[in-house]
Amino acid sequence: MAERRPPITSSDKLALLLGLVPYLIDEVRVSVTEAAAQFEVSPEQMRSLVGYLTGTGEPGPDGLYLPQGLFDIDWDDFEQRDVIRFRQAPLDEKPRLSSREASALLAGLQALSALPGFSERADLERLTEKLARGASGEVAPMAVQFRTADALRETVAAAVAGNERLRLDYVTTRGDRAEREVDPIRLESVDDVWYLRGWCLSRDAERTFRLDRMASAVAIGPAETHEPSTADAGELFRSDSDDLLVTVELPAASLPLIADYLGPEDALEYRADRAIARIPLAHLGLVGRLATRLAGVGAITEPPDARAAAAQWARDALAAADGQNPGER
Amino acid sequence: MAGRRAAEASASGPARRKVPPEQRQFNLILALMATEQGLTKHDILSTVSGYAERFDDASDRANLERQFERDKEDVRELGVPLETVDQLGAEGDTRLQRYRIPKSLYRLPDDIEFSAEEVALLSLAAQVWREGSLTEQSRRALTKLKSFGHAVEQSVIGFAPSIRTREAAHDPLAGAIDRRRQVTFPYLKAGQPEPERRRVSPLALVNHEGRWHLHAHDEVADAPRTFLLSRIVGGVRVEEDAARAPRPDEAARAQRELKELFERTTATVIARPGSEADVVLRNRAGTVIEGETLIVRTTDLAVLADELAAFGADVRVEGPESVREAVLTRWRQVVESHG
Repeated sequence: MAERRPPITSSDKLALLLGLVPYLIDEVRVSVTEAAAQFEVSPEQMRSLVGYLTGTGEPGPDGLYLPQGLFDIDWDDFEQRDVIRFRQAPLDEKPRLSSREASALLAGLQALSALPGFSERADLERLTEKLARGASGEVAPMAVQFRTADALRETVAAAVAGNERLRLDYVTTRGDRAEREVDPIRLESVDDVWYLRGWCLSRDAERTFRLDRMASAVAIGPAETHEPSTADAGELFRSDSDDLLVTVELPAASLPLIADYLGPEDALEYRADRAIARIPLAHLGLVGRLATRLAGVGAITEPPDARAAAAQWARDALAAADGQNPGER
Repeated sequence: MAGRRAAEASASGPARRKVPPEQRQFNLILALMATEQGLTKHDILSTVSGYAERFDDASDRANLERQFERDKEDVRELGVPLETVDQLGAEGDTRLQRYRIPKSLYRLPDDIEFSAEEVALLSLAAQVWREGSLTEQSRRALTKLKSFGHAVEQSVIGFAPSIRTREAAHDPLAGAIDRRRQVTFPYLKAGQPEPERRRVSPLALVNHEGRWHLHAHDEVADAPRTFLLSRIVGGVRVEEDAARAPRPDEAARAQRELKELFERTTATVIARPGSEADVVLRNRAGTVIEGETLIVRTTDLAVLADELAAFGADVRVEGPESVREAVLTRWRQVVESHG
C-alpha cells in the first residue's frame, strides 16, 4: 500500500492548502520540518507554501488586496529559526469533507467493522455519525457488506492475533490436497475473498492460502514470528515467470468479464472492436476455468495445447453431467 | 518588517507570475468567503489573483471564463459550498449572478473534533481501498483531517481487508449520484449475446459479497433495478437530466434487499467429494450442507451459474433447471469455440 503512491493532482494540492492553514494556526508555532512531515511534503515545499500564503488573502471591499487582508507571519521566526507562526490569517477554519470523501471513509469503516475485534468497537458508531455531520452535503449513498465471520475465519484470526501455528487441510487449484503447517503473518482480504499470509513450514517460504480452500484449520501451538515480505496485498497476485501464457480474444466491450485475470502488466491489444490479451495461468488445469468465463463471447486462441485442454475439460464436464443424469441428451 | 513585506506584495497586487491552479482556486475561496452579498463573475475575474493578471487581455477572455467555470466545479468537488445567487428579476443571467461561500457551511461544526485514535482508525479505513476514485477521495479526506495535527500513518496490522474498484463505471456513477444526474450505459445481462443500453437514476453503490452493485431506478421500465458493475461493458454517460433523489437510507435499504435476495435464491449442487469444488462450496458464505448435497446461495442465478461452471466435472447441478441448463450451455460453448 505504501509502495504505490498515486499521482498528486491539483485537487490534492488544494485539499492540502485547506488542511494546512488551520493546522498552522492551531499549532501557533511550528517548525517547518514538523509541518512538512505532517503533510508529507519536503521542507522546501513547505517553505514555498508558506511563501505563497503570505502573498495572498482576501481582497478588500474595492477589490484590492490590502495588507490587513493578507496572511502574515513572523518573518524573523521564519527566516532565522525556520519556524512558522502566523500573526494574521483571514482564514482559520477547518474545512468540511465533501459528501464523496465522507462516503469513501464511511464505507471503509464498514469494511473494517467486519474484522475480528472491530465489530464491538463503540467508537465506530460515534465516528460514523461524526463523519456524516462533518460532510458538506448528504453523504453519497454507498455501503459495503462483508460476509460475517464464520468459524474458520475466527480460528485463523485468533491464530494471527495470538501468534499460533496452524495445521491446515488445504486444497490447491490443481486439486492437490495436503496438510500444511503455517506460522501466520496476516489475515488479508481482497473483495471479500480472505487469505492467510503465513510462513509455510513444509515449503520453508512465505505463502498465501485462501481461506475457502481450507477444509480445516487447527491451532497446534506457538508460532515463530515472521515479518511480511511486503505490506501490499496486491503483491499476492503477481505472476510467476514459469506461468503458462495463453492468448484470449473477445469483444473489447466484454473485457470487464475477465478483469480479475488481467494484471496491470499483462499485454493487451485491440484490433477493431476486439481485444486480444495474454494472460498468465499457474498451470494448464486452469484453462477450462478461463474458457468458461469467456463462454459465448470469446475464446482462447493460443497455444494450441491450451485450446485442446479447454475443449477436453468441457467435454469431461459434459460427460460427467451426462453420466450421472441419464435424462440428459 | 512583516508589514513592509506585506505592503510590497499589495502594491503591485500579488506577484505577477503564472499562478498554479490550486493557488488560483484557493484565492477564489478566500475571496468568496470574505464577501457577504457575493461577487459577480466580472468582480472575480478582474480582482482575484490568478485571474486578474489575465483580465486585461481581451483575446484571452473566453479561456479565462472557461477556466473560472472549471475552477468552480473543482472547488465544489472538494466539498466547498460555492453558491450561485441569482439577481432578483434576472434569474439565470450569468453576468448578474453573484457567487459566495458561506463560512458557516464551509467550516466543520465546532463540536466536531477527531482524536488521534479516530484519525488512526480513519487511516485504516482509507487503506481498504485499493485504487481508483475511492482511494483519491479518502486521501483528500485524510489530508483535510491532518488539520487536527494528529499523525496520519500507513499502519500495518494483523488484519488487512481491501476492496478493489476496478470497474471503470464506479467513478462516473459515484459522481452522478453525488450530482444527482441520470446516466446511460450498455449492460450485458448474463447469457445474452449483446449489451442493452439502460437509462437510470443512480441511487446507491453497494458492495455485496465482494461485488459492486448499482442500485438504481430504471427510467425506461419505471421500476427499481440493481446492476452488477462488472456487467456494465462500456462508458457510463452522465446525462443532463436530473435524477431521482436517493432516500436517506438508500444504501442500507439496497443492502438489505440484496441480503434478502441472497437468502432466498438458491441452487442445489453435488460436488465430487474431497475436490477443490467440494471444499470451496462448503466454505462459501451461506451454504447449507445436507449430507453430500450442498444448497448454495446467490443474489443472481446467472452469476452463480458462471461460478459453478468454472468447477467443470467436479460439480453437478441438481436444480433449479435454469442453472443446470446455463452451466451445460457454457460448457457446450467452450467445446464449440475450442474444438
